[in-house]
Amino acid sequence: MEFKSKILENGLAVIGEVNKSAKSAAVGFFVKTGSRDESEQINGVSHFLEHMLFKGTEKLGPIEVNEAFDRTGAQFNAFTSEENTVYYAAVLPEYLIEVTRLWIELMRPALRDDDFNLEKNVIKEEIAMYKDLPSFDVMDRCRKLHFEGHPCSKSVLGSEQSIDGMTAEQMRSYFCSRYSPNNMVVGCAGNFDWEQICSAIEAACGQWSKQDADRKLEHFGGSKKKERVEKANMALEHICLMSAGVPAQDPRRFAASLLAMIIGDDVGSRFFWELVDKALAEAATMQFGAMDGTGVFCSYILCGSDNVSKVLEVVAKVFKDIEESGITQEELTKAKNKLLSEVVIKNELPMGRLIDLGFNWTYLREYRPVGQDVEDIKSVTGEQVNSLIEQFKPGDFTQLSTGPARQE
Amino acid sequence: MAEKLDKHVLKNGMVLLGEPMEGVESAAFGFMLPGGASRLPEGCSGAANVVLDWIFRGAGDKNSRQLSDALDGIGLHRGSSVNSAHVTVGGVLEAGNLGEALDLHGDIIRQPRLEQEQFEPARQLAIDGVLALEDDPRQKVTLILREQFYPTPLGRSAVGNVEDLKALTPETTRRIIQDGFNLSDTIFAVAGKYEFDSIVRQFEDSFETEPQETLGAIKFGLRDDRYTHISNEGAQVHIGIMTGTVTVGDDDYYNARVAISVLSGGMSARLFTEVREKRGLCYAIGARYHTLKEAAGIMCYAGTTPEKAQETLDVITAEFNRLSEGISEDEIERAKVGLKSALILQSESSSSRAGGIASDYHLLGRVRSLDEIKTRIEETTVDSVLVFLRDNRFEDFTVVTIGPKEVKVK
Repeated sequence: MEFKSKILENGLAVIGEVNKSAKSAAVGFFVKTGSRDESEQINGVSHFLEHMLFKGTEKLGPIEVNEAFDRTGAQFNAFTSEENTVYYAAVLPEYLIEVTRLWIELMRPALRDDDFNLEKNVIKEEIAMYKDLPSFDVMDRCRKLHFEGHPCSKSVLGSEQSIDGMTAEQMRSYFCSRYSPNNMVVGCAGNFDWEQICSAIEAACGQWSKQDADRKLEHFGGSKKKERVEKANMALEHICLMSAGVPAQDPRRFAASLLAMIIGDDVGSRFFWELVDKALAEAATMQFGAMDGTGVFCSYILCGSDNVSKVLEVVAKVFKDIEESGITQEELTKAKNKLLSEVVIKNELPMGRLIDLGFNWTYLREYRPVGQDVEDIKSVTGEQVNSLIEQFKPGDFTQLSTGPARQE
Repeated sequence: MAEKLDKHVLKNGMVLLGEPMEGVESAAFGFMLPGGASRLPEGCSGAANVVLDWIFRGAGDKNSRQLSDALDGIGLHRGSSVNSAHVTVGGVLEAGNLGEALDLHGDIIRQPRLEQEQFEPARQLAIDGVLALEDDPRQKVTLILREQFYPTPLGRSAVGNVEDLKALTPETTRRIIQDGFNLSDTIFAVAGKYEFDSIVRQFEDSFETEPQETLGAIKFGLRDDRYTHISNEGAQVHIGIMTGTVTVGDDDYYNARVAISVLSGGMSARLFTEVREKRGLCYAIGARYHTLKEAAGIMCYAGTTPEKAQETLDVITAEFNRLSEGISEDEIERAKVGLKSALILQSESSSSRAGGIASDYHLLGRVRSLDEIKTRIEETTVDSVLVFLRDNRFEDFTVVTIGPKEVKVK
C-alpha cells in the first residue's frame, strides 16, 4: 500500500492509496455538504442536487451520461447524508481514468430546468417509498426530534412541500456555494496509476474557482423529548432512541463504536440477550454515528404492540445497569474482535477502502492506514468506555415511536 | 483469472469446496444444508427460520450464551439464511480463527442442544418475523411474487405464516432438523485464506458419518394465480412482476443474462431509461435474474404512487415485449461489459466467492471458472440474444401488487 496526496491551489484535495495487487480500482468525490447546510426553504436540495448531477453538463445529456458510465462497466452511485454527498464508482483498473474523467465533467453540471422539473417526480417517489419503510421513517422522525433547533434536524430527502416549492435557480445558487474545490476531496483506492489520475484531475479541476464554504459546528446534547406517531397500516411498534456522542474528530470515536456494539450489536449484546433472545423484540440494535462536531448513539427496536411497555422497562434497566456498573472486560474483548474483523473485511475491497480513505480526509485531513485503526481499536480500555458512559449518559435519550393505533 | 478450485468429497458424500484468494486476510465459509423452505412438510411453513434460531441456542458442551460468546470471541460475522432449497449457516472472519469457527459449526450442525425451553422464543421470533413483513411491503411483494410465480412449493417463502408457526411443536421441528441436516446432501464452501488439507482433516473428524439416503429432487405442482393484489393504505403501490426464463444449466443461459442486462443492467438500460429517466414514474425500478435448480425467472420490482401505478406496469410490460424486436450493438456491448465487470468485482470478496462456488455446485454439479463465464458472455452477439428472445417470448407475467390501488393486468 502506498499513500499519495496533492492539494491543488484552489484547495481541492486529491488523495489515493495504491494497492497493485487489487483486481479493481475505486474513485470517489466527497463533497462536504448535506441537509445540515440547507435552509428550511430549500430542505432536500443536497439530495436532489445529487440526482441532478447525473443529468449531465452543457455537452452531455442524461441518457448519454448513463451510457458513458455503463460503457466502463462501473458499479457506480451516489449518496447524501446530513453532512456529506458522495459520488463513487468501482471499475476494472483499465477503466478508472475514463470513469474519473466522467465524474470530473459531471461535477460541473448544467442543472437544466427541464431535467429539474422531471426529476422532481422521482424525488417525490423516493419520499413516498421511504414513508412505506417504517424502519427508515422512524429514524428520520427521531433525528428531527433529537436535533430540534440544530441544523442536523433537517431531513435528507426534504418534504413534498419543500421539493414542490424549490426552484432550479435556488439549486444553482446552492451548488455554487457548496461544490467549491476547497470543500471537496477526490479519492482513489485499489490498483491504479497515481501520476496519471492525479494529473488528469489537476488539469481538469485546477481551474475551478474557490468559494467560502463554511459550516458552523456546535455540539448538541439532544432534545430528549419523547413522542409517538400512530399510523393506520402498521403491524408492529418501531422505536428509535437517540443520545449524544463524540464527534468524528474525537479520538474516542472507537471507544464509542465499541460501546454501541456492547449495548446493541445484532447478536451477543446486552439488548440482544435481554430483548431479542427472550423474544420480547424482533430486533434491537444500537449504532454509533460520528458526525461533524457532534455524534449520536442511535438505537432501533422493533416489537409487538403488546410488548412495548415491557421492552421500554428492559431498555431503561439495560442503560441503568451500564451507567451504574460499567462494562465488563469480556464484553470489551468480544466487541473489539467483532469490530476488528469488520474493519479488516470491509477494507479488503477497494470500494470499502475508498469510503474510509475519503471520510478520514474529510473529517481529519489525515491519512490513516488500516493498521492504525486496528491499533487504535485494540488499545481502547474499559475505563475509556466507562468514562464515555459517564459523560454522555446514553440512557438519557430522545425517543420516537411509530406504530398502530393503541387499543384502549 | 486462472483461479484454483479445491474439492474433496467425504465418504458420506458431503462435498467440500474451496477457492483460495491472494492478498486477503479473511476467510468466508458456508454450509448449505438441504432443509430449505421447499423441503418442509405441508403445514410447517416458516419452520426453517425456527430451526436456524434454535440450533444457535446451545450446541455440544456450550449453552446458548457460551456458544454466542465463542462465536463473538473469534470475531465471526454470521451470515445464516434460508432459501428455497437450503438452510445455509456460515460467515466471514479473519482467517486465523477459521479452524475454531468450523469446530463450533460442527457442534451447531451435528450436536445442537435443541432444549425445550429455548424453543418458544425461537418460534416467537419467527412469528414476529411474519408480522414485521407487514411493515415492509417492498420485501413482502417480492416474497409473494416468488410464491405465485414458481410451481408449489418451489417458491415458498422462508418467512412462512403465523398459523403454521403457532401449530409448530418442538418434536416436529426436531424431526425437520434430523431430515433436513442430511450431510450426504450438504455442500461446504470456503473462500479466501485457508489451508484446504487441514480443513479436510478437521472435517474427517467432525463430519464423517455413515452415508444417508439423499433427498432426491423436489416434487412440485402447479402455479398459483396470475394476479394478486393486497390492499394496504401505504404511500405507494409496490409492483412485482415475474416471467419465466432459462435456468443456469441451459445452453441459452448467457443469452438470457445479456438480454436481462439490456433490459435492466445499468442506468442506461431500458427499464431505467423508459420508466424513470423519460417519464419520472418511479424512484426504484429494476429487474433481475432469479434462479432455482428447477426453474428460473426474471423478477422485476417498481414502487410508485397510486395514480402512476397502471402506467408504470404498462410501460414495464411493453419494454419486456419490445426487447425481441431489436437490440443495438452498443446496448449488447454495454450489457456484456457490465456483466464481466460485476463478475470480477465480486471475485474480490471472499463472501461472494464462497457463496458463488457453493451455488454453482448445487445448480450445475460443478463450479464454473471465472474464465469460462467471461468467455461465454463474450460469445453472445446481437443475433444470438435476439434468436433466444424470439424463441422464448415473454408471454405470461405473474403480477403482485401491494398498496392502495389495484392495477389491470392485460
